[in-house]
Amino acid sequence: MLTNLRLAQIYAVLRLELRKTFFSRRGLWVYLLAFSPILLFAGHSITMLHNGRPCDFGLDTNIFATVFQVFYLRLAVFFGCLGIFMNLFRGEVLDKSLHYYFLAPIRREVLLAGKFIAGLCVAMLTFCLSIILQFFSMYAHYDWAVIQDYLWRNNGIQHLFAYVAVTALACLGYGSVFLAAGILVRNPIIPAAVILVWEAANPLLPALLQKFSVIYYLKSLCPIEVAPQVPPPFNLLAVNPEPISAFIAVPGLFAVAALVVLWAGTRIRKMEISYSAE
Amino acid sequence: MAVYKRSYRGYSGAYTPEWSRFLILTRYASRNLYRSKAITGFLIACWLPFVVTALLIYLNHNATILSMLKTSGGQLFSIDAKFFKNFLQIQLSAAFIVTAFIGPGLISPDLGNNALVLYFCRPFSRAEYVLGKLAVIAQLLSLLTWIPGLILFGIQASLVGWTWTIDNLFIASAIFLGSVILILVLSLLALALSAWVKWKPVAGALVLGVIFLGAGFGAAINGVMRTQLGHLLSIPIMFEKVLDSLFRLDQTNRIYSEFSPALAWLGLLGIAGACLYLLSRKLRAYEVVR
Amino acid sequence: MPANDQIVFENVSKFYGEVLGVNRVNVSIPPGITSLVGPNGSGKTTIMNLMTGLLQPTRGRISVLGIAPNEPERLFREVGYCTQFDSFPKGLTGYEFVYSYLRVYGCRHQEAEDLAWRAIERVNLVEAAKRKIAGYSKGMRQRIKLAQSICHGPSVLILDEPLNGLDPLARAETIALFRALAQDGMHVIISSHILHEVDAISDQVILLSNGYVVAEGQIRGVRNEMQEHPMQILIRCNKPSEVASRIFAQEHVVEAQIHKDGLGLLVRTRDADKFYLMLNHIAMNGVGIESVAPADDDVNSLYEYLIGSDEASK
Repeated sequence: MLTNLRLAQIYAVLRLELRKTFFSRRGLWVYLLAFSPILLFAGHSITMLHNGRPCDFGLDTNIFATVFQVFYLRLAVFFGCLGIFMNLFRGEVLDKSLHYYFLAPIRREVLLAGKFIAGLCVAMLTFCLSIILQFFSMYAHYDWAVIQDYLWRNNGIQHLFAYVAVTALACLGYGSVFLAAGILVRNPIIPAAVILVWEAANPLLPALLQKFSVIYYLKSLCPIEVAPQVPPPFNLLAVNPEPISAFIAVPGLFAVAALVVLWAGTRIRKMEISYSAE
Repeated sequence: MAVYKRSYRGYSGAYTPEWSRFLILTRYASRNLYRSKAITGFLIACWLPFVVTALLIYLNHNATILSMLKTSGGQLFSIDAKFFKNFLQIQLSAAFIVTAFIGPGLISPDLGNNALVLYFCRPFSRAEYVLGKLAVIAQLLSLLTWIPGLILFGIQASLVGWTWTIDNLFIASAIFLGSVILILVLSLLALALSAWVKWKPVAGALVLGVIFLGAGFGAAINGVMRTQLGHLLSIPIMFEKVLDSLFRLDQTNRIYSEFSPALAWLGLLGIAGACLYLLSRKLRAYEVVR
Repeated sequence: MPANDQIVFENVSKFYGEVLGVNRVNVSIPPGITSLVGPNGSGKTTIMNLMTGLLQPTRGRISVLGIAPNEPERLFREVGYCTQFDSFPKGLTGYEFVYSYLRVYGCRHQEAEDLAWRAIERVNLVEAAKRKIAGYSKGMRQRIKLAQSICHGPSVLILDEPLNGLDPLARAETIALFRALAQDGMHVIISSHILHEVDAISDQVILLSNGYVVAEGQIRGVRNEMQEHPMQILIRCNKPSEVASRIFAQEHVVEAQIHKDGLGLLVRTRDADKFYLMLNHIAMNGVGIESVAPADDDVNSLYEYLIGSDEASK
């Protein structure tokens, strides 16, 4: 049971992390990364409005889905979470300021929880808000009646909810992995590069190995299916597996994240402060 | 008499040439690099494509093998500009990896440990500092790109004869020039990103991020805006476009066929210029805290 | 069972791979000011980090007031540690630095605010408290670190070279602060290279060399046990030659050297107590003795004898 003291400590850690990193110039790049696609979709809408060219709603929806799955999830959220979560511990070690936390009367697992929640709050808030704004920017050049029709009668709200939920789950999945990597590995870029290549090569892997991937579960939850973006001749080898049920994908991601964070919690108890080794 | 006047004497010996002093940085940085078995092993492994390609060129001219395989037309495959361009393309991937893993370690540690003050309080300019660090990556990438490329061209030329060599001399110049562009842009990118952050792992992530995110965002721009200008954010595509133009290859069937080579050249030069600007902003012997 | 007012190391060793940090350390540190003295690399910081759980011992047990270092929730309510690292969380002002970590301790806003200002006042940094730490001078950074380590009122204060970067006035004020804290019953453990200051403030000393504890205890007690180094005693008197001739007959007196000014002599003796008794007799028999003082009864001398010889023999 979490006592009031531990909750207060988690809040204090959250507050300090937000103050140090995310409400300062150091956190600017996360916001730029997350919100740059809005400029893209807004630019598209402005161009369409200016030119008076009619746009194909279905084509726009497919393009949005492709950009979401190929760029936003696999790259923007990936690198955003890499930077946010890796910074939580490895950044403190490189800054030589982690010992201040370790010298406070706070359990290291509680510290881990506080930092993870801080990272999660920022990542989810930023990327989910961005996807909502992207969604409306993309369709801004259509008549309001068309947009309403899509939202209320053609599953638009469900699509939007799915995009937001998938983004949040991506933050959770990638966040837990990079948090653990930041604690365990001196150079977390190596596991990040491996995960990036693994995720990129996911369509080429056998069906069983494809299941060992965050993207595999997230793709299944996306509202619109997008063909694997594999250049020739490798596209001949690409396998588009059966989508997995949301009742397995969502708890599965939560379970993986929880296991990874719990494992990181056991490792952080043994962590030593040795800045000269960095 | 003041103590220093009794026995202190300034250095009165010979000085090394001023133009060569930047090589001191290169020498020490390279020595540290080659101490790492992982890096040395990886560099050796990057020569595997060269070995395989050299073997293929040899096999393509070996009469015994050709008659065993009963090939028509006298050759297994055509060794032309596309062949050499494909080899360079493979080496490009290795060059990206080398840049991402080695580049960050060049300037970030100096920044993080306040070592720039020690460099710039001596008769050593910022340009020499950048040149010294650039030479480290340049030598590594040269070992991966134009050196093996020109050796392969030499092997092919020696097996085929003078006529082919004269007719295809542009391939040798394309190999060299293409490699130089690649080395310059990648080196400056790695140094600029390494100078922008004090942490080596973050600088490495930044290099990977610029390459992958740039390519991804560029593709997104192309898809959404129905244009090809997004390729200006994709360093791999710009390199490929530049190589296609240097090797005089037909690009009509490519996905970026409408992307002008002139724009690719401008894009790469723009990146180099932006990196030089970043370096000039960050490489100082002092830091202002507001 | 370790005593609850002591800091106890029981056969503690710490190896960094094959490199020795400290080996077979067995010490009990009572309340008062204890100094860790030793050359660079002798293990002072390692001992402090072991005490606070920043490092884990390869062997042995550590107990700080009966609490193990791997219980941070209990330990750091009693312990404050001012480390040697001159680094701070980025982007914070001095006040925010102290205040934020008090909130991490579990203090409420008002309590954290009061404690933060109290600690900042104690180190005379009130005017600079709202400025970013990145703009502080070395001495100011040292003082804000000190403020952060004492803000929660610990009963054990561990200070790794706390006087680094302080000007003489700040140094004197800080030493006075340590004395005041020690008088309140606190354990104050300091590591320092400034031996005359260690001498002036310490109740006991732990001398380290190459990862081993070479001596431990009160300075005078440690000095008395060093039989292989005869005590040096400086005597100021009006008849040094007469005093020299009388004392030289004693077998415990190793050397007597008359001072250049002819008004004193430096004696080396293996038995200080016997020497002082004998000196009383001499004084009662008409020799005017102005002053008698030990010349090597300080940390500097201990360092020279115990550690200086080790370094010289390398």
